[in-house]
Amino acid sequence: MWGTPDGHATNQVLTFVASPAKSPPKTHIPPPKSASMPYLYNTPEDVAEMLTAIGAKSIDELFEMVPEDLRFKRPLNLPAAQGEMELEGTLRAMAARSTGVGTKVCFLGGGAYDHFIPAVIDTVAGRSEFYTSYTPYQPEVSQGNLQAMFEFQSLMTRITGLDVSNSSLYDGGSAAAEGVLMALHGSSRDGRVVVAESVHPEYRSAIATYLANLGVEIVTVPTPGGVVDVKQLAAEITPQTACVVLQQPNFFGCLEDADAICQAAHDAGALVVAAFDPISTGILKRPGDYGADIAIAEGQNLGSPLAYGGPYLGIIACRESLVRRMPGRIVGRTTDRRGKPCYTLTLQTREQHIRREKATSNVCSNQALFALRATVYLSLLGPQGLRDTAELCLQKSRYLADELAATDRFELAFDAPTFKEFVVRDREGKVDELIAHGLTAGMLIGVPLGNWYPDLADCLLIAVTEKRTRAELDALVKCLTAKPARTREKPLAATR
Amino acid sequence: MRNTRDTKSLFELSKPGRRATLLPKCDVPARPLGSLLPASVLADLPPQLPELSEPAVVRHFVNLSTQNMSVDTHFYPLGSCTMKHNPKRNERAAAMPGFGDVHPYAPEAAIQGLLELLYDMQQYLSEISGLPACSLHPAAGAHGELAALLVAAAYFRDRGEKRTKVLAPDSAHGTNPASAAMAGFDTVTVKTLKTGAVDLDDFRAKLDDNIAVFMITNPNTVGIFEPSMKIIADEVHARGGLIYLDGANMNAILGVARPGDFGADMQHYNPHKTFSGPHGGGGPGAGPICVTEALAPYLPMPIVRKSSSGQFSLDFSMPKSIGHLRAFFGNTGVLVRAYTYIRAHGPDGLRRVSEHAVLNANYLLSKIKHFLPVPQGERCMHEFVASGADLKATKGVSAMDLAKRLLDYGFHAPTVYFPLTVKEAIMIEPTESESKETLDAFAEVLFRITEEDPELLHEAPHSTPISRPNEVQAAREPVLSWKS
Amino acid sequence: MKPEELLYAKTHEWVALSTEGADKIATVGISAFAVEALTDLVFMELPKVGRQVQPEESFCEIESVKAVSDIYAPVAGEVIAVNSTLPDKLETLNHDPYGAGWIAKIKITDESSLASLLTHAAYQKQCEEEAH
Repeated sequence: MWGTPDGHATNQVLTFVASPAKSPPKTHIPPPKSASMPYLYNTPEDVAEMLTAIGAKSIDELFEMVPEDLRFKRPLNLPAAQGEMELEGTLRAMAARSTGVGTKVCFLGGGAYDHFIPAVIDTVAGRSEFYTSYTPYQPEVSQGNLQAMFEFQSLMTRITGLDVSNSSLYDGGSAAAEGVLMALHGSSRDGRVVVAESVHPEYRSAIATYLANLGVEIVTVPTPGGVVDVKQLAAEITPQTACVVLQQPNFFGCLEDADAICQAAHDAGALVVAAFDPISTGILKRPGDYGADIAIAEGQNLGSPLAYGGPYLGIIACRESLVRRMPGRIVGRTTDRRGKPCYTLTLQTREQHIRREKATSNVCSNQALFALRATVYLSLLGPQGLRDTAELCLQKSRYLADELAATDRFELAFDAPTFKEFVVRDREGKVDELIAHGLTAGMLIGVPLGNWYPDLADCLLIAVTEKRTRAELDALVKCLTAKPARTREKPLAATR
Repeated sequence: MRNTRDTKSLFELSKPGRRATLLPKCDVPARPLGSLLPASVLADLPPQLPELSEPAVVRHFVNLSTQNMSVDTHFYPLGSCTMKHNPKRNERAAAMPGFGDVHPYAPEAAIQGLLELLYDMQQYLSEISGLPACSLHPAAGAHGELAALLVAAAYFRDRGEKRTKVLAPDSAHGTNPASAAMAGFDTVTVKTLKTGAVDLDDFRAKLDDNIAVFMITNPNTVGIFEPSMKIIADEVHARGGLIYLDGANMNAILGVARPGDFGADMQHYNPHKTFSGPHGGGGPGAGPICVTEALAPYLPMPIVRKSSSGQFSLDFSMPKSIGHLRAFFGNTGVLVRAYTYIRAHGPDGLRRVSEHAVLNANYLLSKIKHFLPVPQGERCMHEFVASGADLKATKGVSAMDLAKRLLDYGFHAPTVYFPLTVKEAIMIEPTESESKETLDAFAEVLFRITEEDPELLHEAPHSTPISRPNEVQAAREPVLSWKS
Repeated sequence: MKPEELLYAKTHEWVALSTEGADKIATVGISAFAVEALTDLVFMELPKVGRQVQPEESFCEIESVKAVSDIYAPVAGEVIAVNSTLPDKLETLNHDPYGAGWIAKIKITDESSLASLLTHAAYQKQCEEEAH
């Protein structure tokens, strides 16, 4: 346990007792109880009146249905309450011992990226009517949310090149697992799933976790060259294979021969689940263009903060023929009783509250607020803005890759073309040292790969978004190639 | 006053050539795309996104927002959803640099403050539940449910036991059987009595050595504390099974009773409900789970650990772990908000939250039971379920009609038609952060509505931006995206 | 077909018997009572032709906006035909549940499965009890 027992949790739990016949005098000011009730209305007088109406003597009496022997007899061992000002101080002190991309130059990627977030997004998502509402069970008083979700779905069909999108899932990793479940239900094959090793390792872990008890074999096709060997993959697709899972651009940032992979899967009667980067669709083919049947993605990069992994935005879209297998909420356009166009949740018979154990998924929420952020983001960028963003990522990341590859210390791990991230090998194999060195210099230099890919223990995954300037890229090269520091490096954060 | 021009669809508002974003010039030597990428991966054109100016985007979405009811604007007694006040200090906390802007793969050395917060959160949730091990990884309540059932499956597999049966009461959330199916179990439904309590005869008839998990919501979905909790837990444990507590209703028992003490082996939390949200228009939430020591090795990864020297780190070396259920650590932003809420209350403050949630619900029950029967009885915990069955029989007014008419009076509707065990169910959860005046006004309006002309109710709502949508048409001929 | 001349399953499916050569065929649909109870049908998933079914096995699903109902095979046999235009014209079930609203034809493989079906009168009685 933390803290000392005498530091807190010693207050007696106050019990309100119904006052006798007359209420307290008007001048009575109740003594301050504690700073721990910031969000309650009920005064002692209110409590007394309410208990009288209920016919109870005390609040404790209301808990009588909790059997005596099951009641918790001591105060919870938690830190004592803090008022807003004091608590903000506590939190800021903790936050000060944690550094994010606001103070460090970020080259970290691997599924979450430091793209620019326009101010309009915070303004819109900061509207109380959006963020303090809930699932649009009452469409008449939820048209704002419903229309925004419909617009999100519409935008997702346009960036995936597929027919139908739902109104979002938790994140890219769980969306990958749901996409595979969808393929298992949608094909009449349920024996095997073939996954490329170049798919995000945590997405692969999520798929394995979801399938652990369903009797499905997962075959992982190795990608030692950084991309899938299509022939090798094709050889693993059996008549019982429901789907092939690929990522484009893949976890290493490399571009797969997605057309050929889809062709191989379809030739063998399997579906294709493709993980993609929404930003990349500014210049790259969309999943529907290269033949994917189900597309999934992490939508954090569409205007949401990094927030140490979540909440994020799971994107999933599919071909029309699979719509009945789609997990999660879907919004449809219809008309109201007066013939006015409007929006409502639809195709709900797929979902757990109706179909229970036969539902397409147990999902019963969506990431509405983050889907809203993505909708605003894409509205602000438009086609040209998305294209420009994607091209800046491409040009800058390739510049950095080439600069690093030109040094004596680093080489590119793979030959395949890349989009916005790439893997470099440190010929000296001192990845951890480089990361620590980078941190001192004000830079988050890249994601080490050894924990997921032991063969790549001497490699770093480096991501470059449109936010990175040439000065930052040059500074990274300088930092990584500097001789082991005899004196401490000057922090480079100031150059930002 | 309503502006309907700017709430036309984004695609109708679009006009070629408009832009809201100007990106910087490329400051590295730009090379032709064709020299960087093979033609086979390139798109001919970028996606057909709408083209809009910044003011158009702002006006569109701000006007849309005004068509929503929300906790910040309305009383929102949506049963089972715990629509309590969403403290603004939580929002500020989640956005703090060092919390809100941390990359999920940031080196641990750089984020000790955040890891400490998350470590403390694991401890707090364990203390509140009475279950010693905690994982903050799952992304939502249903995700936590799935995680816990996968933990149970891994535990039995590790012990070489083949158990396939999950028991759940007929009043359970639909997620319970859906999660069980995803974890490879078969759900068998246990009947409940009119009071909402588990029918022990039916429970015993269905309990056998094949039991893996009994999934129970306690306080249950009609808002009573399960009277046979101890018996159920003891008998399930005697058969070697586990008890899973659906923590949706924790708001009623903070500091009052702990699931670990009343027999649960696993539970999830809905921090976005119990620890004050917000609900974000349908999400995000988070779904941390707490379990017994025996189940701890199977928890999803990663877990935050504290070394003897006070360093915090992520533990990925858990050979028996079920693995990931998503990418990255968890829904940290939601957890920071919940942490802020817990710290704002302390031990007696949290108990006070439950006391007043229960007080408010009982008060509203005492006012409403006179005109809408509440089959479960005179008392409840944090919520109760009234039945509109009589009203339906006598006046032809449905629970849905009541719900819709409430909207006209400026109240969000309660949850209707859930749980499935109560006819014309109207499930009301006022929460602790509402005033007696609001509760009085709500009860009065609800009574007035029951006296109104049924025709008026069938056509309700009358004052909202739209009337009832044609859901049959929406489902028969689905239009799921904008087609220009 | 006249409802009075049909057989019924307790789960509200009707059965019309006929012969084709040596085969005994059951044409299956759902009763007007069931159609009314389901209200506002929006979607139907027909069984695959060739599927072997057993009595009381769910072989078809029909959905309203907020409910899913199973349709159970009333007899044992093989599905030899389905009314493939029905899912696109669900209103047919309201207009003509015993005629154009037929769902599937099953070649009966085990005639003993017919024994548990109800006559029209017995089925009517069951419906009256359910309505109360």
